[in-house]
Amino acid sequence: MVRTIIQYPTPLSVEYATDVRVFDTELFSLIEDLKDTMNENHLDGLAAYQIGSYFNVVVIKDNDAFIEIINPRLIGHSGSVEGEETTAYYPNKSANIKRFESVSIVYQDRNGEDQTLKASDDLAILLQRKIDYTFGATFVHKMSKVEKERFEKGIAQKSSATLETQTQGDYCPRTFKRDKILLVSNLLTVLIALLFVSSFFIQNSASLWNFQVYSALAVVGLDIFYFFYAQYEGKKYVSCDSCQLGNIIGTVTVSLFRLCVIMLLSYYFIG
Amino acid sequence: MARLVVLGGGVAGHTTATFAAKWLGSQHEVVVVTPNAKWNWIPSNIWVGVGQMTKEEVTFDLAPVYAKAGITYHQAKAVSINPEGSDSSEKPFVTIEYTQEGKAGETEVVEYDYLVNATGPKLNFDATPGLGDGNGQLGENTVSVCTADHAVHASHKLAEAVEKMKGGTRQKFLVGTGHGMCTCQGAAFEYIFNIENELRKAGVRDMADVKWISNESFLGDFGMGGLHMKVGGYVVSSKLFAESLYAERSIDWLIGAHTSKVENGKVEYELLDGSKGEEEFDFAMLIPPFAGVGLKAYDKAGEDITGTVFAPNGFMKVDADYTAKPYAEWKASDWPRTYQNPTYSNMFAAGIAFAPPHLISKPMKSPNGTPINPTPPRTGMPSGIIGKAVAHSVCDLMTKGENAHLHEASMAEMGAACVASAGKGVFTGTAAAMTVYPVVPDFEKYPGTGRDTDYTFGEIGLAGHWIKHILHFLFIYKAKLNPGWTLIPE
Repeated sequence: MVRTIIQYPTPLSVEYATDVRVFDTELFSLIEDLKDTMNENHLDGLAAYQIGSYFNVVVIKDNDAFIEIINPRLIGHSGSVEGEETTAYYPNKSANIKRFESVSIVYQDRNGEDQTLKASDDLAILLQRKIDYTFGATFVHKMSKVEKERFEKGIAQKSSATLETQTQGDYCPRTFKRDKILLVSNLLTVLIALLFVSSFFIQNSASLWNFQVYSALAVVGLDIFYFFYAQYEGKKYVSCDSCQLGNIIGTVTVSLFRLCVIMLLSYYFIG
Repeated sequence: MARLVVLGGGVAGHTTATFAAKWLGSQHEVVVVTPNAKWNWIPSNIWVGVGQMTKEEVTFDLAPVYAKAGITYHQAKAVSINPEGSDSSEKPFVTIEYTQEGKAGETEVVEYDYLVNATGPKLNFDATPGLGDGNGQLGENTVSVCTADHAVHASHKLAEAVEKMKGGTRQKFLVGTGHGMCTCQGAAFEYIFNIENELRKAGVRDMADVKWISNESFLGDFGMGGLHMKVGGYVVSSKLFAESLYAERSIDWLIGAHTSKVENGKVEYELLDGSKGEEEFDFAMLIPPFAGVGLKAYDKAGEDITGTVFAPNGFMKVDADYTAKPYAEWKASDWPRTYQNPTYSNMFAAGIAFAPPHLISKPMKSPNGTPINPTPPRTGMPSGIIGKAVAHSVCDLMTKGENAHLHEASMAEMGAACVASAGKGVFTGTAAAMTVYPVVPDFEKYPGTGRDTDYTFGEIGLAGHWIKHILHFLFIYKAKLNPGWTLIPE
């Protein structure tokens, strides 16, 4: 049966790297599906993860013959090559990736028998890319920093319209809208600190103190707003992890703590 | 008045003995038999091994702590167990041999009502020719960070290598596992990154080749079949996380490797694909495989019943399902829950001393038939939790009677946290913090990986490094039984 190949921006599952333990008809039909999907899409390799299965299964085509690779492990490697690669998860996109020139893998066949395979050049690169999928990665994880930035920029331009409203792909954005709230809150805190410093040089500091109190209230208000908005924003992105809440609490605590210190000092000296 | 004898004073034994002493009060006696005079916070040995901490910072004397807790302490190693007593006495006993100065070699018989075996592992250096010295100790070709003394020795060798590089001689560093059936890849992982960091600090990184050798079938297996990591918001396998870390630090790797022989400056290995090779080195830290400490057991008539009480690898049999089964049939329920010996109900085993029913990682062997796979790790956290549960059970048995309910702590229902540091500076350090739940995959409860992805994650950065620092002080504080020690979790 031809299956749908998951494509960006649909997120790949967070369930992956599951070794096949039972070699039964369920596995055989998964392998047949992989072959059918490859034939239909003219592909020379496909990992089960790409069609939504968490099992470590890869099928590749070498000189028109299928090789069924179950529970692969990349054991030996030598040399390195860099070349342009494409992958079905990012249709019509390519990127430069550094790979091992030749590899040695061990795997199991459909009978559960251990097999080894030594490969070089194109076949080695294909194997590396597919084995990465079985461990939950696209080729983005193998890009150099520069290449990754270039690639991500290309994707962002293409699909920025859809990203705003849809659940995002496998990216957790580095900048959030919520950061702007934080920026205002931080600027206000700096302002309060400046007012505190300037109070030492100004005779009538009573009006300064009033100003500080209002600014402090604004910072508290902003922090509260940030706390709730940040959680709301975080939930829009599936790949952003559960530690976000910790980050948000931490950020708010730091901000409020800073504010308290400045305000206490101000109160003591000028209030 | 009944007597509980705890064999071993490591994380599991120390936890069992101190909690039991606290809960039992002066009603019953707690005895600890351990060959070491000092308690060692083993995770920090990594820092001793690169000269960033002294032995004194990671160890403390046990005698004053046990005196404070009201525990009878014998600095001795256990030799044998007679769970049925002898001809002359019904009472079960252990035979111990003193190791402290002045009394070394003297043997004594210690009777018990309850026994907890927490002897930890024997560092089985001799399993690989050339890794040991032939007498069960570390050989001269490599170094180790398994004990504080080994780590001090390693730090001296490292300093020598750094001096050579400063003098213009290139050095090759090889770190990893010294056998196909090792565990504790995490410690070696930490050590290689600490070495790399030290070399950079010393300004000699460009003079060094650093290489990893391990029995894992993929980088980042850690003996647990790998785990899910969240790095900067991405969910990736520990494999990809580890590969990028190695690439970033220019550390080459050899995996799926069984170190078959060690010589001066050279190891021979066999890979999972059946190929064989050699790797040269100037400095090598290779973790030895673990085995049981070699305790013997005898019945009332003096017949050897070691095979009944212990598994063939020397670890004590507990309430696990030891039936040999294929990988496809492994279950979470095979793992022990109460750690009670099935033959003698007044014997328990905690920490590394209990025999696991099978591996955690996928079992693998080379085409030549050599098994090459990590054995189950039992780090401080599970050992402490198991130790406390066993202490609970034994105390209930002693105070409430033989039918008391036993406390349970299955590794298939237990999470573990692991913090691997790569450098020690307060602001420059970095560490990978990983949590995994459960340690032993439960394929029935969590189809697929067998793990709960909500609780399995990792992060890398300075925060993890601080956690490692905090843990160091916290656990030494706890082990010294300073005020509030019971509040610090295992």
